[in-house]
Amino acid sequence: MTLPRRDHVSPRSGRSRAARRRSIRARLRLALFAAAGFAAVIGSAWVAEVRLSALLDPASHARVGELVRGLFPADLSPAFLRVVALAAARTVAIAAIGTVLSVVVALPLGILGTATLFRTGPLVAGDPATPGRRLLAWLSAAARGVLGLLRAVPDLVWAMGFVVGVGLGPVPGVGALAVSYGGVLGRVFADLFEDVDPRPLEALRTTGASRAQIFVFGIWPQALPGVVAYTLYSFECCVRAAAVLGLVGAGGIGYEIALSMRQFEYGEIVTLVGALVALMWLTEAASTALRRVLRANAPPGVLAHRRIHPGASTRRPRTPVLGVVAVVATAATMAAGWAYRDVFDASTATGLARFAVGLFPPDLSPGYLRALLGPIGQTLGISVIGTLIGIVLGGLLGIAATAPHPEDDRVRGAAALVRHVLRRACRVALALLRAIPDLLWVLVCILAVGLGPFAGTLALGAHTAGVLGKLYADTFEEVSPLPLRGLRSTGASPLQILVWGAWPEARRMLVSYTVLRWEMNLRASTVVGLAGGGGIGIELYNSLQLGFYPRVATLTLVVGLLVAATGAIGDAIRRRLGSASSLDH
Amino acid sequence: MIYRLDAVAAQYPSRRGVVTSLADVSLDIAAGERVAVIGPSGAGKTTLFRLLNGTLRPTRGALRFHDRDVATLVPREARAMRRRIGTIHQQSLLVPSLTVLENTLCGALGSWSLLHALRTAISPARADVERAMRAIEQVGLIDKRDARADELSGGQQQRVAIARLVMQDPEVILADEPFAALDPALTDSVAALLLGLTAAGRTLVCTLHDVELALARFPRVIALRGGRVAFDRRGDAVSSAALDELYRGERAGAHDAAPARSRESAIGP
Repeated sequence: MTLPRRDHVSPRSGRSRAARRRSIRARLRLALFAAAGFAAVIGSAWVAEVRLSALLDPASHARVGELVRGLFPADLSPAFLRVVALAAARTVAIAAIGTVLSVVVALPLGILGTATLFRTGPLVAGDPATPGRRLLAWLSAAARGVLGLLRAVPDLVWAMGFVVGVGLGPVPGVGALAVSYGGVLGRVFADLFEDVDPRPLEALRTTGASRAQIFVFGIWPQALPGVVAYTLYSFECCVRAAAVLGLVGAGGIGYEIALSMRQFEYGEIVTLVGALVALMWLTEAASTALRRVLRANAPPGVLAHRRIHPGASTRRPRTPVLGVVAVVATAATMAAGWAYRDVFDASTATGLARFAVGLFPPDLSPGYLRALLGPIGQTLGISVIGTLIGIVLGGLLGIAATAPHPEDDRVRGAAALVRHVLRRACRVALALLRAIPDLLWVLVCILAVGLGPFAGTLALGAHTAGVLGKLYADTFEEVSPLPLRGLRSTGASPLQILVWGAWPEARRMLVSYTVLRWEMNLRASTVVGLAGGGGIGIELYNSLQLGFYPRVATLTLVVGLLVAATGAIGDAIRRRLGSASSLDH
Repeated sequence: MIYRLDAVAAQYPSRRGVVTSLADVSLDIAAGERVAVIGPSGAGKTTLFRLLNGTLRPTRGALRFHDRDVATLVPREARAMRRRIGTIHQQSLLVPSLTVLENTLCGALGSWSLLHALRTAISPARADVERAMRAIEQVGLIDKRDARADELSGGQQQRVAIARLVMQDPEVILADEPFAALDPALTDSVAALLLGLTAAGRTLVCTLHDVELALARFPRVIALRGGRVAFDRRGDAVSSAALDELYRGERAGAHDAAPARSRESAIGP
């Protein structure tokens, strides 16, 4: 409802003519927006070859039933458990070393990519644009571009590139993690460095500090908490990614799963997936605990000298947790580098170089580009429908998994127990959906609906539901309970409370999470294609296997462009849905 | 002469066209002078300060620091110039997550190599720490030396900023409304600290909103209005008629005090 303006109120409608015209225009825009969205969904469903009949087909039920029956009993023999433990350890090691190396990639590129240090703003103003300065500004923009490129190519594609260079084993996995997560972290670091309070930096500049010194004493201390938090979060992501990379031969749990799959040893798969779920859960718990320890130990000054002067206050004992973690991780990386030194010989460099040279020039012949249009559409369609499945399934499970604020939980007795069990069950279901990587879901979905884009779509939907459902539930639980209590006291039903109380509060976060996930799913849908899920991924896989490197370059460019395009569309959606309240028209 | 400004103008582009914050300013400041800069808001005081401390360059005219035209300085020389000029801002602008001691050490960054700065970030040299401690003692915050800057009150932060200035040991001190955020009692103690620093022959240039304070404590008063020098004379020679003329409009609540804008490249009508 738009409140009637006092001027020019027409007696018939009680609204001013201008307000009415505004509201008509807004509705038209909304209708156009909805129509475009509807058309996009229908188109996507068509190219993703969604066949609901395949889901109802008894034969596919039988195949999945056979798979599920074959999963039990799980293989828990000591010999196999030893294999699982070793594989899990290897996955964690790959992830840890990949994280350390990704920081090594991210820090220099992130610092160089920080616009406020090299390109714009008060730290640059007032100095003449000497050729050196101009070169630095150019390099800084280039660093941002490089980070974007590293990010745009899926880690699995990086891994396959490294496999071409150094052969199978953990090394290509580590390399892929270092490069692709280096791209993600570098972007995050640069954003963190740009977002610190600029006024202290200006003050440091007036003391005659150089930009490097301003970074060390002004930017770094302000950005450090964020840098640590994101690095730990990135480690969590790396564990998941390391498991997936195993599927293409990088060792660890994923590799064992692929082996067992190939030998139809479903009992082993259950144990391995269970181990993977446990590993994910442990990693999340460990990183949360580490973050808590770091917060409690936050030194008064981040430069953190233990004894800066005689008689320094010992008010807060400081354990150098951060230092210990950093040293251990670095030492492990160096040890691993030493252990795998034989992998890197002269042939590594020539292999990688041959691969890199082979990429040029990219195959841009009109015929090939035209042939790519179909797979590109398919990839887009898979990402859209997969995300939609995730929104619906994740939304239902997420709402069911949302716990009411403890103070508002008035239900007692058996009903309370049932509700509690239901909530826990939904949480566990979400955790399972999330822990199983999309690449593994594809293998299950292929059994159910056969090879093709629909299998990839379902797989993407299953994993996305797990991720989004948890985010939705967490967001709803964080909504302030006070307005909800107010609604309850008016006699609103739980559903009404959700629509009128929780949704307006949580909407901005929900939209932003969902749009971000869609962008990630676009990248994922190329990867899902690698396992026979259709789209551009199959093209990529075939070109890599057959050694058509110019085509690999073209496909990589296409993926990069697609990701950039979704980024722009995502921003537009976020602006549209994130700002205007959708309850008032 | 430390500063020699010759028909200096400063403009910057903004969404509403080109904003001229200084139109035509010529003045000299000699070593050891204590100068107060007064004028209504929007007169160009802060811009003048950014010119004087080398974070902004004149659009027209010449600004000489120690007889060297700042327009000819390469970045390294500009940095060396900034090292010799200490600035105190309206708010203290400390690095919030560093301690008082660490913020004070930052004052010496301009005279350190990058290597020395990195070394200080890990484990500072004893001599540097001792110097910083003396500076902190001078502003009376020795018991707060290990507190984070964001745990301090506004007055305490302003004193840390002065300790950082002592650590920097500049020839010229530029203070932009240093007392704006302080209550009267603190104003007196901080003013005494600042004026005490000039006893060693340092030059002090200070913008002030408080005209009484300017006339009482500063031998020379420069008044800016609309980006030009309205008058420049001894503090005791400033008549109340001149002040009325200077603040005409602002005190009456009219719009005259808005910054002078020229619409050389204005967008739209």
